[in-house]
Parts: sequence; structure tokens; C-alpha cells
Amino acid sequence: MSSQNENQEVRSPVRFKAFGWLMQRITGVGLLLFLGLHFWLQHMPNGFLATAEEYNSILRELGSTGQEFADAIAEGALKEALPGEHVITYSKVLERLQTPLWKMIDVMLLFLALSHGMLGVSRSLGDYMHNERLRKIAVAAGWTVSVLLAWQGTMAVMSVGMN
Amino acid sequence: MQENIERSGQSRNRPSFRTFLFTASSYRKLAGMSAWLLHRFTGLALVAYLVLHIMGLRSLADPAAFEIYVTTYRNPLFKIAEAILLGSVAFHAFNGVRIMIQDAFYRSERQRQLFYGVLVLTFVVTLVGGLSIIFPYFIAPMLP
Repeated sequence: MSSQNENQEVRSPVRFKAFGWLMQRITGVGLLLFLGLHFWLQHMPNGFLATAEEYNSILRELGSTGQEFADAIAEGALKEALPGEHVITYSKVLERLQTPLWKMIDVMLLFLALSHGMLGVSRSLGDYMHNERLRKIAVAAGWTVSVLLAWQGTMAVMSVGMN
Repeated sequence: MQENIERSGQSRNRPSFRTFLFTASSYRKLAGMSAWLLHRFTGLALVAYLVLHIMGLRSLADPAAFEIYVTTYRNPLFKIAEAILLGSVAFHAFNGVRIMIQDAFYRSERQRQLFYGVLVLTFVVTLVGGLSIIFPYFIAPMLP
């Protein structure tokens, strides 16, 4: 095959794949920064979580104001924090997401993670799925799930503190 | 072993899960193979977690539902799962950086050393972060 022919062989599916590779790199670097930040904020002991004392006082307050909370505490669906525990709690999330920049960062993280993850899944499927029709169905299903999740996640983040 | 190498050679142009199993059992460069395998495995596991995570965000619409949702994940078993999650994220991130470094500078000469570096970093991050995650549940109660 001559080199001229090879150049003509670079058709849109190949370019599309190369674009996917580039996107995987870009979203990967983005995730490195923002997923690192996200994990630090939400899973490690720091000021964005409630300390055990804070959480227990929040629980007492909620239990005395709303029947829904009082029932949940009685059923054990809401538990007191252990000594030294740091807990994700609604008021802390609300406090953080009142800053528009944090909302933007969270929605951006959602899109980075979804596109990186779904692209990874489609590449894995491409390695094992040889039936063209099956693969098209899988890709369509993947897009549907991605769009639904992106919508749901964006709505969840954007609507915090708006009602 | 020899038979597997032959079979994987014959079916090289037709990758499939079976071919992959033959290749995996005949592959000699253990570092590169396990890096690839772990990267794919952690990646798929993280996508599964991501889907559950985003669906769980629906509870943000109702403060009571959100507190109950969070309490579910404060179960000791979920705390261990959280440490495993950290390990998966750390490995996938560090190995991703290794792939980028390799593509940009080294090609494959240094891949083994880089992979061992990835393992060490993953181990350190998972140990430090994982201990701080499980500390109030498993370690603090054992302290006098």
C-alpha cells in the first residue's frame, strides 16, 4: 500500500478514535486536579465536613425541629457521630454550594468524570464486542445513560439552596 | 504455556475475551500486563461507583433524605469500601500519569521502574488516606 493510499485511509472513524484518545488525556488531567480536590474535601477530615461535636449538635437541633428527623433518629436511620469522625452533612454542603464557583466546579467535575468514564467503557466494549449492530446498540445505550446522568447530576447540584 | 503463546499468536488479529485470557497466561512482562489490567479493572469499577454516586445525589433535593443517605454510607463496611475506592482512584490516577509520562518521554525503556513507582505511591496514599477514613471506626475503639 502506498503512502498516498494510507493517507486516504485516515477516515472519520480513525479521526474520531484519535479525538477520543485526546479527550481521555484532557479529561484525565482535569480529573487529576479536581477529583483529587473533591476526594480531599469530601472524604478527609477537614473544615468542609462536620466534626463529631458539630454533627451531634446538628442532629439534636434537627430532631427537635422536624418530625421527619425525629422519626429517622428513633429508627436508627440517623446515627450520632463517633468520636473523631467527620461527617458530610446537608448544612455544610449548602454552605459550600452557596458560592457559584463551587457549583461550577462540581458540575464541571461531573462532566469530566462522566465523559472520561463513559469513553473508557466504550473503549473496553470495543475491545470485546465484534458484532457491529450490538456495538451500535451499546453505544446508543451508553449515550442515553450518560445524558440522563448528566441531567440528573447537574439538576441535583444546581438546585441546592434554590428552593 | 507454549501452547497458549501459539494460540494467542494465532488469534492476535481477533481480540476477544478468550484471546485475552490466553494472552494473559502467556505474557511475560508482568509489570506492563498488570498495569494495563489494573487500570482497566479500576476504571470500570470507578464507573460503576460514579453511576451510583450521581444517582445518590438526587437525595440533595430533601435535607432529611440526604442525611439518611449519608448515614447509610457511614456503616463500617462502607468505610472499608471507601478506603478501597481511594486505592482505586489513586492507582488509576498515578498509572494514568505514568502512561502520559511514558508517551511523552520514555516510550517503554523505563516502564517497569515507573510502574513500581506507581505502586509505591498508590500504597502510600491508600495507607495514609485509608487509615484516616477508618480511624474512628476500627482504630480509635481499640485505643486505651
